[in-house]
Formats: sequence, structure tokens, C-alpha cells
Amino acid sequence: MSQVRLWGDAMWGIMRRDAILFVSYRTQLVSQFLGPLFMIAVFYYISRLLTVRTIHSPGGYFGFVVIGLVIIQILTLSLGLMPGNVRQELISGTIERFLVSAHGPVNGILGTTLFPLCNAFFTGFFTLVLANVVFGLPLAATSFLAIPVALLGVVAFMPFALFLVALVMAFKQAASASQFIVSGIAIVGGLYFPIALLPGWIRWTSEVQPFTPATDLLRHLLVDTPLVHPAGVELLKLVGFSLVLLPAGFALLRASIRYGQRTGTVAEY
Amino acid sequence: MSFPSVSVPVSTQPPTGGPPGEPILELEGLYHKWKGPKPPVLDDVSLTLRAGEVTWVGGRNGAGKTTLLRLAAGILLPQRGSVRIGEITPASKGGVYRRQIGFLSAGDRSLQARMRVSQQLDYWARLAYVPRGRRAELVASSLQRFGLEEFAARRVDRMSMGQRQRIRLAMAFLHEPRVILLDEPRNSLDDDGYELLNEQIEQAAKRGATVLWCSPRGEDRVLACDAGYTLEDGRLERVQ
Repeated sequence: MSQVRLWGDAMWGIMRRDAILFVSYRTQLVSQFLGPLFMIAVFYYISRLLTVRTIHSPGGYFGFVVIGLVIIQILTLSLGLMPGNVRQELISGTIERFLVSAHGPVNGILGTTLFPLCNAFFTGFFTLVLANVVFGLPLAATSFLAIPVALLGVVAFMPFALFLVALVMAFKQAASASQFIVSGIAIVGGLYFPIALLPGWIRWTSEVQPFTPATDLLRHLLVDTPLVHPAGVELLKLVGFSLVLLPAGFALLRASIRYGQRTGTVAEY
Repeated sequence: MSFPSVSVPVSTQPPTGGPPGEPILELEGLYHKWKGPKPPVLDDVSLTLRAGEVTWVGGRNGAGKTTLLRLAAGILLPQRGSVRIGEITPASKGGVYRRQIGFLSAGDRSLQARMRVSQQLDYWARLAYVPRGRRAELVASSLQRFGLEEFAARRVDRMSMGQRQRIRLAMAFLHEPRVILLDEPRNSLDDDGYELLNEQIEQAAKRGATVLWCSPRGEDRVLACDAGYTLEDGRLERVQ
């Protein structure tokens, strides 16, 4: 038990470190909370111009797109920033602390994902509250169920972050790859528009990643958008993607660190 | 399909030293070559570090001293040869090898610039798996031993290079490791800092730890040591 406690203490230490660093840049804190306000304001006024017949929910297109925006935020703050954070650890040499500590590089890098994820969750929650309080978005009674689904979604998204971090460890760069992935997900995951609008030749990509079922489920629970597939099937998809992709993500990260340790490039930047 | 397991240390007991003269860290037949046409930076290098001893390795810039220390610390894995503490190697699961190691890299990196000194040391104590009950005590004692008490609440990026070096040294010694590896430890230290470093090396040797420190040729070798080597053309040669 005490071994698990030591592991937990180290994880908490990394998260606390990242929180201290984040708060120490005060303008970053302010801009992170102003950003969602402006973003949903833009989409609120765009949605007032539109009547989308294919979206059947009390909040209309605004409700539809706000959930997409929340997921984009979570992806940008986690998937988008994590590889950059690890690259920053390489540049500043702070990754060395992981490499020489009992906690180790894999656990250390895993620890660096905790604060961005918590931050992403909090920002997503804040965005929803803004949409509800300031712009009058009606939230469904099942909204509280979105919390466990969002957590499951994060587990399913995590491998993509691990793949990108593995790329950073091996090749020292992944910023363009993370932008490419987040933009791609926004299209095929149906974050801004229903995937039914996509041409047939690309629509299959909406079925082979965890972002579409996570988005559909969250929309259903938060703004009462009807589901295309039954909720159980969507949940099974999320669990299935997690079970397959997560071990692969860890294995790739371990392999990239081992590769750097053998060639000597692990501490390079 | 196996789900990824969480690595936790096999033992929660802090590392201790050993009886004087007992081999602790054994480097055997180490070979390392960087990419490109250059010759290997380490070629069949062997070295045994014993409890209670202080060892110095010198050599010109680029001779391979840092590579040797990184291999000993487990940051790099040997392309050929072995690194072990008893039966434990850097590849052993659960971080048991790294738990025995205190490491200071050359330069002024590896500090969290915007953290306060005491936060920095507490952060490191957590990563080093110092048990909760001992953490505050070891952080306080490290602050005191390296003359950092009055700076405990100061941000790291607002400190001088010499003060930063003291923090980095404090991290290398904080968790009372069995093997202490120091790359150019005198970097930026003033006379007082240098004296504190000497004291800590002496105390570590007394409790049965082993210390290996490297410095470039030309820098006065004035830290006390029991054995001295130079590294040249990938080979280690005993000079003392």
C-alpha cells in the first residue's frame, strides 16, 4: 500500500508543480477564461442566423456546437499541449528529473498529463456554465451523467496524446502532428457539424476512432440530441478503443524512451 | 492482451550505504558510440565504485565523461557492457536502480524556474520516492546543509548561478542515495559553496555511499578523492 502511496505522492507532486507554473503566468489564466466567452459568443450569433433541420435538440445548432467546442477545448488543452509540454521539458532539461528518479520517465510523462486534463475539464465545465447562464443554453436533466462519460472519453483520447509524446521523445518535434490530428478530429468527429454532411468516401473515418461516440454521447446527455446508435453501443465503442489503444500508447512511449536511451538522444532537444 | 501496469518501487526503504570497500556500482566493458563516423566515445570502459570511496574522472572536453556518468545514472542504456548495483540494473523494473542514484548534470539545467526553492526540493523528494514521514525533514536538512535556508521561499529563476548550483547539488544528495554522480559539481560555486560540497561528499562517504565526480582537464582537482582516472580516446586510465 505504501508503494502505491509513494507513486501517488509523486504524481501529485508533478500535478502540483504544473499548477504552480500555470498560475505563475497570470495573463495565461485570464486569457484561458476569456477565450471560451468570445468563442461561444461568436457561435451563439452564428446559430441565430441558422435553422438546421437535421439537428433535433432543444438548444438547436448552438447546443450542438457548444458541446463540439468543449471537446475541441479538451483536445487542444490535452492532446494539443501535452507534446509541447514534454518538448518544453526536454528544452529546459527538467525531463532529466524523471530520467534519474525512482518514479521514472514513463510515470513522469504520464504525470505531466494530469494537470492539462484537469485544466481541460475545468475549462470545459466553465464553458458549459457560460453557455447556460449567459446565453441561455438549456442543459438536459441527464447532464450529471456526462461526467463519467467524459472521464471514459479522456481514457480513450489518452493514447493519442501518448502517441504524440512518443513522437516528441523519438524525433523531438510533434507540434504540427498534434495540430493536424486536432483539426482532423474536428472534421471527422462531427464537432462543428453533423457527420451525415460528410461525403461517403470519408464518413467511415468517423466510425474508427473514439471521438465520434464520445461526442455523440456527451451531446445526448448534455443537450438531449438524439443518438444515432444506442447508448450501450457507443459506450462499448469507447471501452473497446481504450482497451486496444491504451496499451499500444504506453508500449510506444516506452519504446521511444528506450530508443533514446540506447542511441543517447534521450536528453537531446 | 496485457494492460499497462503502474511501476512502483519494490522496496519503500530508503537506500543506505554499505561497509567500507564493498563494491556498490560496477561498470563493465562499457561501449558507446554516437551516430556518424567518429570513433566510440567509450570503448571497453570498466570501473568499480566502492562504499565509502570518492572517485574522480577527468579528461578533455568531449572525452566522454558526461556519457559515462549518464550511463552510470541509467539515463542512457549501454550499447555494450553492463551497469549494475549488485543484481540491479538500470533496466530493472520499478525504478529500484534509479532509487540508489543521486545525479548532478553539468550546466545549470533541470530546475523548475518558477518554483520556490523549498517547493523544488519537495517536488524532487516526491519523485525520488522519499516516504511521506521523512520528506519535510530531508527537505529542511538539505536546505540547511547547502546554505539555502534563507532562500527557501525565493523563486529559482531569481537566484544566482551559484545558488542554483547549490539547489541542484541539494537534489543530488537529498534522498541519501548509495551512489552519487556529480558532473562538474564546482560549476559557479563560491568558496563557501565549495566547502559545503566537500563536507557533503565527506559525510556521504562516511555513511557508506560512493561518490563519482567528473571535471574537465585543466580544472584544479581539489575535491578530496580516493581514486583518480582520466578518460582519453574512449579508455579509462588510473592516475591515482
